[in-house]
Amino acid sequence: MKPPSELDSPPTIENPVAGIDQSKGDFRYDVAYEFDAGSGLNEETVRYISRVKQEAPWLLDFRLKALKTFLSKPMPTHWATRDLENINFDKIRYYLSQGQKPKRTWDEVPDDIKRTFERLGIPEQERKFLAGVEAQFDSEAAYSNIKEAVAKQGVIFVNSTEGLREHPDLFRKFFGKVIPTGDNKFSALNSAVFSGGSFIYVPPGVKVSHPLQAYFRINAENFGQFERTLIIADEGSEVTYMEGCTAPKFSTSTLHSAVVELVALKGAKIQYITVQNWANNVFNLVTKRGVAHEEAEIKWIDCNIGSRLTMKYPGVVLKGRKARGEVISIALANDGQHQDTGAKMIHAADETTSNIVAKSISVGQGRSTYRGLIHIPKHLKGCKNNTECDALLINTNSRTDTYPAISVKGDRNTTQHEASVSKVNEEMIFYMQSRGLTEGQAMSLAVNGFINDLAREFPMEYSVELKRLIDLEMEGSVG
Amino acid sequence: MTNTTSTSVAPTGVFTPEAFAARLAADSAAPAWWRDRRRAAYERFAALPMPSRKDEAWRFSNLSGLSLEGVALGPTGKDERLARAPFGPSALTFLNGERIGDHAVTGLPSGVIVTTLRDAAAKHADLLKEHFMAQEQKLGSEKFAALHAAFVADGAFIHVPKGVEVADPIVVVHAAGSGMAVFPHTLVIAGDNAKVTVVDYFVSVGSNNQGSAAPTLQLAVGANDLYAGHGAALIYIGAQDWSRSTLAFQLNSIVVGRDAKAQSLNLHLGGKQARHESHSQLRAPGAFSEMLALTVASENQEFDQRTLQIHQAPDTKSDLLYKNTLRDKSRTVFSGLIIVDPDAQRTDAYQSNRNLMLSEDAEASSLPGLEIQANDVRCTHGATSSRIDPEQEFYLQSRGITRAAADELITFGFFEEVLNRLENDGLHEALRDLIRGKFQK
Amino acid sequence: MIPLPSQITFFNPMPTLEIKNLQVAIGEKPIVKGLNLTIRSGEVHAIMGPNGTGKSTLAKAIAGHPDYAVTGGDVLLDGKSVLEMETDERARAGLFLAFQYPSEIPGVSIANFLRAAMQARLGEGEEIDATAYYKRLYEKMDMLKIDRKFTSRAVNEGFSGGEKKRCEILQMAMLEPRFALMDETDSGLDIDALKIVAEGVNALRGPGLGVLLITHYQRLLNHIVPDQVHVMWDGRIVKSGDKGLALQLEAKGYDWVKSELAAT
Repeated sequence: MKPPSELDSPPTIENPVAGIDQSKGDFRYDVAYEFDAGSGLNEETVRYISRVKQEAPWLLDFRLKALKTFLSKPMPTHWATRDLENINFDKIRYYLSQGQKPKRTWDEVPDDIKRTFERLGIPEQERKFLAGVEAQFDSEAAYSNIKEAVAKQGVIFVNSTEGLREHPDLFRKFFGKVIPTGDNKFSALNSAVFSGGSFIYVPPGVKVSHPLQAYFRINAENFGQFERTLIIADEGSEVTYMEGCTAPKFSTSTLHSAVVELVALKGAKIQYITVQNWANNVFNLVTKRGVAHEEAEIKWIDCNIGSRLTMKYPGVVLKGRKARGEVISIALANDGQHQDTGAKMIHAADETTSNIVAKSISVGQGRSTYRGLIHIPKHLKGCKNNTECDALLINTNSRTDTYPAISVKGDRNTTQHEASVSKVNEEMIFYMQSRGLTEGQAMSLAVNGFINDLAREFPMEYSVELKRLIDLEMEGSVG
Repeated sequence: MTNTTSTSVAPTGVFTPEAFAARLAADSAAPAWWRDRRRAAYERFAALPMPSRKDEAWRFSNLSGLSLEGVALGPTGKDERLARAPFGPSALTFLNGERIGDHAVTGLPSGVIVTTLRDAAAKHADLLKEHFMAQEQKLGSEKFAALHAAFVADGAFIHVPKGVEVADPIVVVHAAGSGMAVFPHTLVIAGDNAKVTVVDYFVSVGSNNQGSAAPTLQLAVGANDLYAGHGAALIYIGAQDWSRSTLAFQLNSIVVGRDAKAQSLNLHLGGKQARHESHSQLRAPGAFSEMLALTVASENQEFDQRTLQIHQAPDTKSDLLYKNTLRDKSRTVFSGLIIVDPDAQRTDAYQSNRNLMLSEDAEASSLPGLEIQANDVRCTHGATSSRIDPEQEFYLQSRGITRAAADELITFGFFEEVLNRLENDGLHEALRDLIRGKFQK
Repeated sequence: MIPLPSQITFFNPMPTLEIKNLQVAIGEKPIVKGLNLTIRSGEVHAIMGPNGTGKSTLAKAIAGHPDYAVTGGDVLLDGKSVLEMETDERARAGLFLAFQYPSEIPGVSIANFLRAAMQARLGEGEEIDATAYYKRLYEKMDMLKIDRKFTSRAVNEGFSGGEKKRCEILQMAMLEPRFALMDETDSGLDIDALKIVAEGVNALRGPGLGVLLITHYQRLLNHIVPDQVHVMWDGRIVKSGDKGLALQLEAKGYDWVKSELAAT
């Protein structure tokens, strides 16, 4: 039972940044689709997608091969949850769009789509603090624009369809190289039916001062969104990319299966920020990996709050000397959710360092899982990995699992892994209550304190909202 | 979706149905219930496939080294002598599974039973039935556990009745001749408020032991069942010193009752490839299992350790510390899992794996895992791999100690943390000597 | 009087530690830039200086820490260069470094550690007499007010700052070096602990021991009175004097040295 308090009623949220509060994304407007590949997946589905995108023959071949790989690979249920078996691939719609060419101004975006993004606050954010925005609606970007000053520096920021058409050589050089089609069943699926996502190229030495943002919106029921993102930061350049997402709550399940490849060439820095807030019916099965060359740095900042099941283990292949990789991960699993997240660090050169900090919160019957992979092969020297993962369990029936795998060869490298599981300190809650806070408020403060050091890694606009969302989730967790 | 069904192979190697039938026939004195269990176990063994790449429980293990070929089940020679007895005189000594000598074990407090499984089958059938291999194997070696259950004909049976304390360690030696397949077994039941220390020493005898001539394969598939009753204190030492051509499995099961403490320390020295699986079940409030292990890996040895700490009741505690030193091209795998059942509130569980890398070619893998389904818990784990700290080395050298001596001191210091947890001082020295022996080889 | 080389080798009437134009770098960065100092047995010298001036670098380099590269000059013990020696050889030759931050050596007890260090000083086949060893160890521990239980504790592990420093002095007392380099021995000590440590050092003072005290503050020198005081600045000794110099420094601060240097 909750203690009576005026603050106990659901707070009204003023959302400076959309994509965080789940209730905010739970709406939908009817949209007339011009292109529809229908339900189910076969060779014809793939051919249809390739045809409407007017793709080169090599790409159609690539997709068809990927389809075969997808079909031949078993579900990874020997280590992963059996909930994966509940995905009905025959019911999913693999391609829905109003056209393949995104608009450059919001005025040109059709009204039925525009009002969705306006309600989510995307144009407003763009004005405030972004260097460029891509807004994907189901399978294709409805809007894509980069600020002129940034474009003038030679930065390319388009969706993958445009990227393939306009920069075929650059695209093809890196595409599928970081994450091969057969990496896993879902990377193969994405490779067969991908559409949308961002293509970014930052020329040597260019430092993009404001983030580029992509927003992924699922609007249709029984839909599968398969965006493909490729970011190349040339020597000495720097870029920050943020992605947000929402979908309405449907009674049927929705699939989101992206592939994201990052390439940081010598001395480059890529920071990739995700705030994942899919509705609770979305299977979110994403493969994300970057290659960091000499003295380059790739940092994944990953926050998972939504979805029914998320399986995502951002990775960095530390290919060049002194390359650095980092994963900062926050996961919050509430009733009916399983956040199966983690990180992979593959050391492939001397003096490479990697750092992983993962914190998860399990509320109600929520389940959070951490999986980690650290690999330091033979004859490397001066490599270091540090991993910390902490889990907080709120209710008696909450669950958490930790499954790291660390493999080190030789005596010239060091790894350190620490993990802990705890509950919120009751003395602390009592102390706060004795000062007049409700149990829910005290719990919110405690949980925010738990992730505070990580929340600071997010841009201000996001971290403020992260805190509000935790307040919301905690309200219902006690009593 | 197509899913190619692989034909499951379940090789039995030299352990053919005929070999099993012969083995069982040779043991005509065994009671019917045991013979039935052995038949059932053989069927499980024959039906289960060998571990494959897809088995998570065998991640990082060298599967190609697993073989059921090239070893003999008999006849057993009794003329071979034990090279040494680091733990002093033994209560029971087995060579190739058969007890050597038939003198009664003396000098024990009244009521304490130290005898063979065969003898216990005749005299203490109920105790044996209830406890012998009664716990489920869950860590991947189910096939080998079944092999053990089918072929084990004898072993040690130790029962300390309620309230009785045994001061001196009870030492059991399991020796194996070259080329033999052996199935050592030790069953320990510490009754309520009883106290006992048991040492299992596993050693190879014959020409093969000290590394001469062409290596002859040896297979050791051992198991033990350790039970600590209400308020009991059970200390178990397993010192494994098989020959370098041995493929060794040791399946260790610990069941801890209310307010009882079980402390186990496994020392791993020998074997070509040695896999050790250890389960601790914390059955009732106040139960505490302390799981310790020391591994001295060198040359091409692989030590593969899998552990499970299962908290089945509230207010239980487990503490695991596994330390490995790796030299030459050796490999170690540590995979540990702490499971906290939904009702096991106020669990306090700790798990730590420390690898000291002493060569460029050594490889250590750690898989420290947690599965927690109760929220009021304190569970932590840690895994580190590192070399000797150069600052420590410098500090010792600045006192005039040579670098080699400094490294040895630091390495022994690394083990001391584990040895110091053991209460019995006499055992410390024996364990230190064994470790030193391997280092100086 | 300068002893003849033959006297050094054969009679060794006055052992010396000579630091000649010593230059030390960490990585590419020069830290000690041509330092000269001679300490004779029986003398206590103090080197004072602000942080980052190279005092600790000097001590580590003399002891042979692998991270500190000697790029020029020499360090001579009784006329013989130690630079080619390993750290442990230097220690056995009679050098002792009391660390500012002593390492923790898990699992290695103080008793075993000291025994190994003393054993290392004996010839092949010689064994130290355990009874005599413990007798001496306990004597020295009593002198330094160290609980005898400490012998079974791992070296420096979980020790307080004061305990670590006393443990350093205990080692010095047991190993009887000919020259001791004491790096910021007073850091982290309250006044009581400081007195115990100082008493320990004073008890060891004598004709057979030369001491180099490295310190930032004058307060240690109230308790261990030096024969000579040197001020180190930017990798060199820029001023030397008697114990009065330390008091001057305390009163006027290091800026005084700085302004004097600027004036010359």
